[in-house]
Amino acid sequence: MTGTTNAMPEDALISVSSLKKYFPVTRGWLQRKVGEVKAVDDISFDIRRGETFGLVGESGSGKSTVARLILRAYMLTGGSIKFRRADGSVTDLTDLSDRELRPIRREMQMIFQDPYSSLDPRMTLLDIVGEPLVIHGVGSRGEIGDRVGELLGLVGLRPEYATRYPHAFSGGQRQRIGIARALALNPSFIAADEAVSALDVSVAAQNINLLQDLQEKFGLTYLFITHDLGMVEHISDRIGVMYVGRMVELGDTAEIFKKPLHPYTEALLSAVPQPDPRRRASGRRIVLKGEIADLANPPAGCAFHPRCPYATDLCKKEVPDLRPLGGREVRCHRAEELDLAGVEA
Amino acid sequence: MSVNTTPMPPERLLELDDVHVHFSMREGLVRAVNGVSYHVDRGKVLGIVGESGSGKSVTARAIMRLLSKNAIEAGGRIRFRPEPGKEVEISSLPRDGRQVRELRGGHIGMIFQEPMTALSPVHSIGTQIMRTVMLHRRVGKEAARARAIELLEKVQLPKPTEMIERYPHQLSGGMRQRAMIALALSCDPALLIADEPTTALDVTTEAQILELLKSLQAEMGMAIVFITHNFGVVADIADRVAVMYLGRIAETGSVDDIFYKPKHPYTRALLQSIPRLGQAPVRRLKTIPGMVPDPFNAPAGCAFHPRCAYAVPGRCDTLVPEVSLFPGDQSARCHLAGKLPEEVL
Repeated sequence: MTGTTNAMPEDALISVSSLKKYFPVTRGWLQRKVGEVKAVDDISFDIRRGETFGLVGESGSGKSTVARLILRAYMLTGGSIKFRRADGSVTDLTDLSDRELRPIRREMQMIFQDPYSSLDPRMTLLDIVGEPLVIHGVGSRGEIGDRVGELLGLVGLRPEYATRYPHAFSGGQRQRIGIARALALNPSFIAADEAVSALDVSVAAQNINLLQDLQEKFGLTYLFITHDLGMVEHISDRIGVMYVGRMVELGDTAEIFKKPLHPYTEALLSAVPQPDPRRRASGRRIVLKGEIADLANPPAGCAFHPRCPYATDLCKKEVPDLRPLGGREVRCHRAEELDLAGVEA
Repeated sequence: MSVNTTPMPPERLLELDDVHVHFSMREGLVRAVNGVSYHVDRGKVLGIVGESGSGKSVTARAIMRLLSKNAIEAGGRIRFRPEPGKEVEISSLPRDGRQVRELRGGHIGMIFQEPMTALSPVHSIGTQIMRTVMLHRRVGKEAARARAIELLEKVQLPKPTEMIERYPHQLSGGMRQRAMIALALSCDPALLIADEPTTALDVTTEAQILELLKSLQAEMGMAIVFITHNFGVVADIADRVAVMYLGRIAETGSVDDIFYKPKHPYTRALLQSIPRLGQAPVRRLKTIPGMVPDPFNAPAGCAFHPRCAYAVPGRCDTLVPEVSLFPGDQSARCHLAGKLPEEVL
């Protein structure tokens, strides 16, 4: 099922439409299916070539599942994913077999959150960073050694470190090793799942700058997943805000932060503790009631309505559609009439 | 610094004087806490910020006398005032003696980052609170149960009478953290030590817990030592702040002085490296070069000098700076404190 397919915008590298992933809920030793968790439910968006697309949401919102679906680490329950190859052709990844996916995997890579568990402690940096090259049969032993040295240099590690094991490195350095591994096959797209969340403040800033340098140097496109709104504002061109498996708002980062259209986005922005005692959140902060909805048993209507300060009867009954509004997309019945507060400059 | 022997001022609740904690490891001696002095007044919140390995949690454990077996309490004095007119020198008491056990849980409560590891998985929430209350208050089962329900209500857990039968694994992360707060507050402590209590939580849940702690603090008048690596959280909750680096307090002062008039280059650099919501877009974040040094070979002189933009060769790399005092009870351990060029933050 390769070949050019319909309707993918010119500037898009990845186009996701009506993406769905339902996980079965089973019970008993017969693994009888008793329900479904709609981890990702009807999500559509494009990632433009060369941009950083930020995916924001709290735990259980489905943001990591979206990344894994795009990389086809999971089978889709529904929807489609299209990817523009390096040669300009568009491939529909939706139904490709593992074998068919293999050449495409060279162009799409991932960086993980936990730099401790994502590197094999018994492999040297040469083995770790060189592994994608070996798997894809790129180059001889000597060539792989040279390339690993070059990659380590790119992420600010000394090429001599290639013979060392991960335990000799700090969290921030390990994260760089993961970045070097992701770069090994010259990908055009990298999904970074909470790539700096586990790092100390000063180290996170170094690694974010490194990711931006690499993006400029190689024209990379990033899907940047995080719960850190300050970081996402800094690095992303556009963002998507997810809540309980659905996209609730999508658009230009600066515009969303200035004036959110969805009450959940407003609450998220107001909840962030600001490093500025004069702007203490108390008073302005919207403290949401209750907890994030249970994915296995989401509320009827808009999933956010039990916590939403603006909910009406309509919100309890009808699921709002994601619809365009002022150059953005928003999933809220009351988006036009609400006047929501963003972040003050 | 010589240990000061004058009695504590009446408003003082806790005072640490030149506290040292070392760990003897195969690789050598680690001076995890290397001369830390700070104080907390009754009903005030002290925020302790620092990156990993700065010694902020070890110091807190030293107050509770909960250090691991291989820790060497190498010196200094920790004084606490359980009630007006009474002064206890915690650091000179036997660590498992009656007096320390009475303070722990009775006068000083503690909450941790991961409630799942701090709470017992095999006892219900109610049982855990009731046992603490019965131990410290010498009341019967019925009274303890009533107290447990009252506490769960206080931390705004829904349906407290049902909640006391629940086990930690049945609760969400935010609810567990509330249960742990209830447990820590069961005996109306004068001091609550909170070690990264919101770090593992989502931003809207973090906002809920911060607001809860603030309202409980106002209501019960307890003091809090709030340990975190997040400057936003500190700005939100603290009256005073201590910034730690490699086992020492780099700088301490009122929350406004630390954020708007920092005197230590480390404080300045940290504040500049965090992306802030709504700030004018910057191309790259400012970073602190290098990384937190290995604790086995901490740099000579000022431990921050290899990463410091202002370090003076021959001075900062040889002499450990003394504490310089500034108006408003602000102090910084830096040779250049007060002489740094003004910078816009």
